[in-house]
Parts: sequence; C-alpha cells; structure tokens
Amino acid sequence: MDLLQVIVSGLLLGGVYALLAAGLNLIFGVMRVINLAHGELLMLGAYATFFFYDTTGLNPLLAIPLVAAAMFAGGMVLQRLTIERVVGQPLLSSLLLTFGLSTLLTGVALNLWTTNFRSVVYEPLTGSLGIGGLSISRSRLVAFAIALVVSGATYVFLRRSTWGKAIRATAQHAEVAQVCGIDVGRVRLVSFGLGSAMAATAGSLVAIVFTFNPEIGRVFIGKAFAIIVLGGLGSFVGAFLGALTLGVTETLAAYYTSTQLSEAVAYAVMVGVLLVRPSGFFGQAES
Amino acid sequence: MSRKTTVYHRGSEETAPVALSRRTLLGRAGALGVGLPLLARQSASAQGTPSPAAPPPTGEPITIGASISTTGSNGRTGQYQQEAYLLWEEQKNAAGGVLGRPVRMVIYDDQSDPATGARLYERLITEDQVNLILGPYASSVTQAVAQVTERYGQPLLVAGASAGEIWERGYRSVFGVYSIAQDYFRDIVLNIATAQGYKTAAVMYEDTIFPTSTAQGAIAHCGEAGIEVVVEEQYPAEATDVSSALTRVRDAAPDMLIGGSYLPDSVLITRQAKELGVNPKLFAFSVGAAQPDFLETLGPDANFVLGPSMWEPEIETEGNADFLAAYRAKWSRDPDYHAATGYAGCQILEAAVTSAGEINLEAITEQLFSLTMPTVLPGQYQVDETGKQTGHIPLTVQWQEGAKALVAPEDLKTGDLVLPTPPWDQRG
Repeated sequence: MDLLQVIVSGLLLGGVYALLAAGLNLIFGVMRVINLAHGELLMLGAYATFFFYDTTGLNPLLAIPLVAAAMFAGGMVLQRLTIERVVGQPLLSSLLLTFGLSTLLTGVALNLWTTNFRSVVYEPLTGSLGIGGLSISRSRLVAFAIALVVSGATYVFLRRSTWGKAIRATAQHAEVAQVCGIDVGRVRLVSFGLGSAMAATAGSLVAIVFTFNPEIGRVFIGKAFAIIVLGGLGSFVGAFLGALTLGVTETLAAYYTSTQLSEAVAYAVMVGVLLVRPSGFFGQAES
Repeated sequence: MSRKTTVYHRGSEETAPVALSRRTLLGRAGALGVGLPLLARQSASAQGTPSPAAPPPTGEPITIGASISTTGSNGRTGQYQQEAYLLWEEQKNAAGGVLGRPVRMVIYDDQSDPATGARLYERLITEDQVNLILGPYASSVTQAVAQVTERYGQPLLVAGASAGEIWERGYRSVFGVYSIAQDYFRDIVLNIATAQGYKTAAVMYEDTIFPTSTAQGAIAHCGEAGIEVVVEEQYPAEATDVSSALTRVRDAAPDMLIGGSYLPDSVLITRQAKELGVNPKLFAFSVGAAQPDFLETLGPDANFVLGPSMWEPEIETEGNADFLAAYRAKWSRDPDYHAATGYAGCQILEAAVTSAGEINLEAITEQLFSLTMPTVLPGQYQVDETGKQTGHIPLTVQWQEGAKALVAPEDLKTGDLVLPTPPWDQRG
C-alpha cells in the first residue's frame, strides 16, 4: 500500500511539472529558443493568482482562465519586443536574452513583492481524499487534473486545428512552412503566447499547492529542462510522459533512499535512459 | 526600480529624514564598489525631548560600524536588525550618548553575500576607521566577517547569527547574543517531551547549515532524554515534495515530528502530514512556526504546532516594554525577534564600553567576557570562555486556536501547553 501511495504522490507531483515542460517544449519546438525565463513566467502566474485570491476571496481556480489570458497577451508582447529578434540567431543570443529576462523579472518581483513566502490556501482545497486506504491530496489532485485538461486541450489544438497544424509545420521546417504560405512570424507569436499561458497556468497551480516567492522559477525550471530532454526535445507527448516519469522516480527514490538523494537518483535514472535513447522517449534525432 | 533608502543628512540644521533614490545616493557616495553607507547623525530636535537629567552628548562621536543584509535573500529579516541599531543610536543620542559622547552608526548593505560582508567590515575597520563594530545578519555572513574582525582585534557582537560552528574556531573576541542553533529544541525535547513521556521522534531537516544544526541539536537532546529517533531524514533546500519521507514517518508512528526547517518547508511538512494522515502527538519546527506567516499560510492547520523563539513582544524582561513602544513609534511596525537581538547587541556593547570607561578594544573585550547583564532578551547575557552565549533562554511558543501562546519556560509563560496534538481527522 505504501508503494502505491508513493507512486500516486509522484504522479500528482508530475502533473505540474508536465504543464511547465510542455509550454517550454512548444516554444523550443517552434522557435528553437531555449526560454530560460520560463520559470519566471510561472512565478508571475503564481503571483497573479495570489493577488486575485487575496483581493476577491473567490475560488482561486477561477483565476486560471484570467491569468492564462493575460499571460497569453503578455507573452505575445514579450515575443514581439524581444524574442523575435533572436529567432534564427546563434543559440548564445537567445540564451543571453532569456537569461537576462529571467534575472530582470526576478529582480523586479523581489523589489515589488519582497522575498516573503506566499501561498493560496483555499479551505476546500486543503486536506486529502481517502480512497481505498490511499491519501490523495485535494490540492495536488485538482492541480493534476487541471494540468491534464490544459495539456490535453493544447494537444488536441495542435493536432486538429488549422493554427495547430501551422504551428507543427513551422516546428518541423520553418522555411518550407513559409513557402507553403504559413505566416511563420505570427505562428511564433501565438506559440510563445501559448507557452507563456501554460507556464502561467502551472504558476496558478503552484500557488495553490506550494509556498512561493520571486525565486520559485529557479526551482522548477531545472526540472522542466530535464523533462524535455528526457521526453524528447520538441515532443509534446514526450514532455508529458517525461514529467510523470520524473515525478514518480523522485518519490520512489525518496522512499527507498532519502529525500536528499532523490533528485540525484532521479537524474541518474535519466542519464541511464538517455544512454539507451539519446533523443529521449519521443525525440527525433536531429541531422 | 528606485530602491528608497531613508538617510539622515549630516549636519545639525537638517532634521527631517529624506528619501533618496539609489541613483542619488550613488552619486553622493561617489564610485563605491558595493554597498551604500547609511550615515546617520541625529540632531537634538529629531528625537523628541531628551531626558532632562542627561546633558547633551559632546565631543567627537563614537562611530560604530556594521554591514547588514538589507537587500538580497535575507533582506527582509536584516532590515529589522538595522532598524534596531538605528533606534538604539537615536535613543542614546537623546539620552546623553555613550561615555558622554554622541554615537554615530555607519551601516552598509552586504546584499546577503558573505564575501561582500567580509570586505565591508575590512573597509569599516581600515578605511572608515570606526571605533567599534556590531555584527551582521545571518550565520553565513557572520562566519566570513568573524575572520576579519578577529584579525584586527575588534570585538564582534554576534547579534544576528546562531550557528554553533562560529564558536568552534578558537576566536578570541567573538561574542554570542542569543542561543546557538543546537539549543533551539533543548527545551522542547528535554523538558516538554520528557514531561509528556514521549519515547520516539522523527527528525526531518533541510541540508543547509542552520537547519542541520538545529536538528543535530534535537537529535543529541533526544539521546540525552532517552528518546529514540526512529526516522532521520535530510531533504534538499527548495524541496517540493516530502511525501515519501512522511510515508515512512507514518509507518514508524513516532510521538514527535521535529523539523529543522525554514518557513516554506515547515509549511510543506505540515500540509503533507495532514494530507497523508501523519499523526504525531507533537509537531515542532525550528523556524517558521514562530512567525505570523505560518498561521497566515496554514490557517487552522497551524494549531498545536510548537516552535522555539528567541524573543516575544510580550515577555517581561528589563526594558522590553519601552523597546517595543519606541520601536513601534519610530518604525511604525512591530519588531520581530531579529530586531530584539540586534537591540540586545547594542545594549551589551554599550554596557561593555561603559564598564571599560574608554574606547579601548582590549578592555572592552575583557568586559564582554566577564559581564553578565539583563537585556531585552529572555535570560541574561553571559558567555563561556569561547564567547558562546550561555545565559540566553530560548522561548517555546505554540499556536492555539489561531493565536500564538508562549508556553515555556515556566517563569515567562503566558499560556499552557495543549498536548497531545489530536489526529488530523479529529480536529474541528
């Protein structure tokens, strides 16, 4: 029973990772830009949700669509003003740019909101459900469900809609996509907005599940990178499976060794997977 | 981003504090590499009416240097300490100064960086040539700074650090103001747990210096008290999940769950303990449990949790009520214990200087070893031969129905312990 409990805890943990990693992967897939500021977009989402709840007192889950919409718009502005300028440039340019954005956003947030830790504690989302001897955290279960729904909806959008097909085409080969009449500039704009909205939604969930301060982005971004490498760079489904794998590996490792060692063990397992499958679960080897 | 810093103009005709932007300050301070001095000098009219008995201080001011983390990760807590230093300075100048001379604080910001702190103390001593110094905030910065002050023979009052390691290096003039981290859980384990007849404990702690020290102290005290530590678990800073460790704790069903933790992990452990139905009879956390944020974050789930505190506003120590009132009047907020330890540091330095009768570093060092005196902190100032604080008594607080009760030690307590903690599913 303990083992099952540990696995369930790991899966629930993986849900939030998944949403963040999927957005990061989308941006990388379309723009070939590694967004080091992705964790800070999550941080902004967390604060937006906190302030929504703090001022209105309404169910914090209601903030999610608002926060996502705002970050969709904000992400597009950020993309047009900055990211678009480094698309197609050497990798170092985009790394420097997004690292700068990350530092800037953290610094501004520290000044505005201090290092105080905050959390959204909404009574109905505290405690746990007891199902057949398992304790399932309400807040983590809700976060997992939302992460699943949002990721699933995004997946369907990418598969089925015209915009989604344009995004995938651009990710596969931007030049050919352009020749076929796809406005790749707008595709990049929308993709970044979408990725930002997903990060912000992950942030909303983080606000409900964890305590956070302006430096929270750093905690999650490292995991998100590991996940997309494991799942396969640019692969949406891969990111999702990678996230769940990381979550479960972490909790299992913590159970059998110690919490202190769990990350080391989890990353060692990842290295092992990458030795066998260098491009991750669903990655395509780049030529 | 204009970070506002309140400074006082030098010179006697100006009385009002003015807010300067960082840019203006930088311009004024010239090409400083790091940190900005807060040069504060009071004129008589700025501090209300001086007591009629004390003649106004005269002569060359006694300069006291310090660097404090007022920005960076420790910035929020460091500010309390700085405010206490500045409050003391204002009070002294209004009440006849020290040795009849005015005092002037020279305070820099070390941005929570130990290397910067060490460099700033070097500069305070060699370039600014301050007469005396007071300690910085946080154990990491203090460890770096102690090497510098020791080299120049400047006695260092450690008003913002508690890592026991500081007093294990053979320094000859480093003095503790409050209990070392290893003693944070002393009262909870040796007195409270034994009185309740508890036999087993789980100890979880973050793997950084201060939380580890508090937890190692708890484990040692458990050994003394014959309490078996059934789970000992370290976790990394910024852990997002401790459910696996708590699952093991649940299996071991200990009487106590002790966390060597800061606020976010204290909250994480409490939340996940509730979610997993981990039901020890006593919860205690080293940091966070005593902070109002703990209650704000957890609401009713904060109830029954114990924590050590170095000082509480309501305790009846000598001068505490006056300190509280003066602090509130000057800074328009309540002090936390970091303000109180900072203020106590000033009180101790003053007493040592007054006893020495002159600004003579050797005489002051000698006084700091031999002095015993009450401060605003519980217990008294008293150090052993290494300079480690032995007279301070850590308090124990417990959240009870949404309010913090001071439950130990006996002679200072304002409320009674409520134990055992009821299981999560039997709480109202």
